[in-house]
Amino acid sequence: MSSTTEQANPLAEGLPIRRRPEPCTLVIFGASGDLTERKLMPALYSLAFRRLLPDRFTIVGAARSEGSDDWFRQAMKEAVKRFARDEFRQEVWEPLEAGMRYVQLDAEDTGESLASRLERIDEERGSSGNRLYYFAVPPNAIGPLLEKVAEGRSDTGWNRLIIEKPFGHDLASAKDLNTLIGEHFSEREIFRIDHYLGKETVQNLLALRFANGIFEPIWNRQFIDHVQITVAESIGIEGRAGFYEQAGAIRDIFQNHLLQLLAITAMEPPSDFTADSVRNEKVKVLHSLHTPGPKSVVRGQYGRGFVEGVEVPGYREEEGVAPESTTETFVAAKLYVDNWRWADTPFYVRMGKRLARRETTIAIQFKRAPHPPFEETAVEGLRPNVLLIHVQPDEGLSLAIGAKVPGQGMSIRNVHMDFLYGSAFRHGLPEAYERLILDALLGDATLFTRSDEIEEQWAIVDAIIAAWQRDRIAFPNYPAGSWGPPSADELLARDGRSWGRH
Amino acid sequence: MTVPAPALFDWSGREVSIAQIDSELGRLRRDSAGEDGNPHQRTSVMTHVAWVPPEWLDAAERVLAGMAERHPSRTVILVPRPAEEGGIDAEISVRCFPIGESTVCGEVIELALRGNRALAPASIVLPLVISDLPVFLRWRGEPSFRESQWQQLVEVADRVIVDSSEWAAPRHAELVEVFDRTAVSDIAWARTDDWRIALAARWPAIAGQQIAIRGPRAEGSLLRGWLQSRLERTLPAVEPAGEVGVLLDGEEVAPPQDQPRSPSDLLSDELDHLGRDPVYEAAASAS
Repeated sequence: MSSTTEQANPLAEGLPIRRRPEPCTLVIFGASGDLTERKLMPALYSLAFRRLLPDRFTIVGAARSEGSDDWFRQAMKEAVKRFARDEFRQEVWEPLEAGMRYVQLDAEDTGESLASRLERIDEERGSSGNRLYYFAVPPNAIGPLLEKVAEGRSDTGWNRLIIEKPFGHDLASAKDLNTLIGEHFSEREIFRIDHYLGKETVQNLLALRFANGIFEPIWNRQFIDHVQITVAESIGIEGRAGFYEQAGAIRDIFQNHLLQLLAITAMEPPSDFTADSVRNEKVKVLHSLHTPGPKSVVRGQYGRGFVEGVEVPGYREEEGVAPESTTETFVAAKLYVDNWRWADTPFYVRMGKRLARRETTIAIQFKRAPHPPFEETAVEGLRPNVLLIHVQPDEGLSLAIGAKVPGQGMSIRNVHMDFLYGSAFRHGLPEAYERLILDALLGDATLFTRSDEIEEQWAIVDAIIAAWQRDRIAFPNYPAGSWGPPSADELLARDGRSWGRH
Repeated sequence: MTVPAPALFDWSGREVSIAQIDSELGRLRRDSAGEDGNPHQRTSVMTHVAWVPPEWLDAAERVLAGMAERHPSRTVILVPRPAEEGGIDAEISVRCFPIGESTVCGEVIELALRGNRALAPASIVLPLVISDLPVFLRWRGEPSFRESQWQQLVEVADRVIVDSSEWAAPRHAELVEVFDRTAVSDIAWARTDDWRIALAARWPAIAGQQIAIRGPRAEGSLLRGWLQSRLERTLPAVEPAGEVGVLLDGEEVAPPQDQPRSPSDLLSDELDHLGRDPVYEAAASAS
């Protein structure tokens, strides 16, 4: 007979405490960086605001910069006031602040090591050795930090790592990083973050597909003509020349955000919503991606132009960028998922910087009605049905349908039925980092990228980049503020199609 | 977050018909159109019906202020005035809120049901319900469980929300009778959330401890009912008090530190739930 201790807690059933994690310590490497200030700390505050953080929660900021606990608390307080989506409330801040510590990494050799500081914090705060390490640092800094973390690995509680993108630089380096981490930590302890997966609208795509009976039967090659995915930014490289010169659009966006959006759009329904079931289906899509030939990939680099009426410099004129740089700031491609559902259905994708506007959309374009029984003039200019998923901004859905223009005779025009996410659910959409940090604290890896996903993504990127080594393109080839180089339009025009103008 | 003030378009009339209400709503929506002449998006996730006897009207309006912005819906407020001469008076408003570059509108229909028009409220609500969206019924004050109005509106609603702390006497035994017909929320139950979280954290020790509860009648009896149903044992009667308190083996449990939620927050949270709450149902049955 089972004892009371072994029984599930009958008092916990139905309580809004399921998503409250156990007491733990969050160690942020890169605590003095931009990501911590703009995203991580505001997200942690928002979680505290909604009482979603555990009791005895400790935040340890770790960075090379000189600093103290008080300095860290003050800096984070400023960050919360500046960037958090919720109003600043002293009663929310105080308990969070009480659990904040700072560790100067380079000073450890002369002082207390990170491991012993964390042990001391566990004793002080009663966090039972549960630790989440957030690596908000460049890939080359991960290795040495991993050694420190492994050295101080807690034996009494759980250990989890969140690794920021980019995860590696190519397939080989990603494999090396996976191997290095794997020497000390198991896959279930590793949370590779792609913040796009934390966005409500990306998760809503799963709801749209798998909670609505009307879409799934037509979500295939029989009814869908093609899919367009756009990840467009109107900003430039924002002073990140050092990173961007090495990465380019293909590593910055295509390898992670874009392929994740494609995988979620194309995946089969998972048998359940557990981490491995969802990720297994995404990996199958990535594995089925046909490596695009050189004619199916277009790259570009922006030159001088106008964005929102303001003249902006070309990429090669940005500070820190080589005057002859061949780094791409735009990529468009025609991809095929070689499986029964999607055979011969093109996925046109494009992404880039300094484009006409900021927009992330997935457009599902359906096939035309087989035989509209109207005069040709009645349907002149009528476009096929498009289900448009706005990932950002203006999160929501829009379905373009043909409707009769009121009046005599028959004239049919396109109209849009819109669902604006924020207008139906007025809770204020949580920031992606809130959801993802909370999931990691709870040990739920569904919205994080698994090692085999990362490797499949890099394999595709490596194949595309290998083809680029053989030919050189005259850059710049599109003006800032446009929708990319003419060759991106030609990519679709060759198939008798065009990019949507949303 | 600062909530922008809504743009308000309203109309009122005496001795109105439902057709007239429909027509005026259409006109208000057209009046609220943007500069391009196109009506703003009407976004609804539910029809929110509130049965509000006149003595509860001020409190209800305070709670409902801002609800349209948080839960875009058609809100139908029914104010029964059976002692007055028969007829329906209406105050209708379309409230539009800016959201990014768009504007969305919700509708509030307040109807005074005079005389015998208060006897068949379902027949007035049904034509105003937005089809295929859930209907939430907030019943203000103490329901007359045996009376037709309660029975009729329960049939219309997908979820009934009461606050048993508004009742003069404990009547959960009668409320239990509708559990098989509709989902039920009790705002007094929601007020015990923090206490239940605190006590759940005492598992497994609490299973073998003596438990004594004091507190306001509704919250205290629901907390007792919850513990009885979950722990499958009988607890002593609740000692009346202004605030909830719990003794475990004679020792006072520290009260939860969380800020109490406002009446609007409590109602707003209940409007997010659609399904039945078996834990509440068991607690109400055992209270």
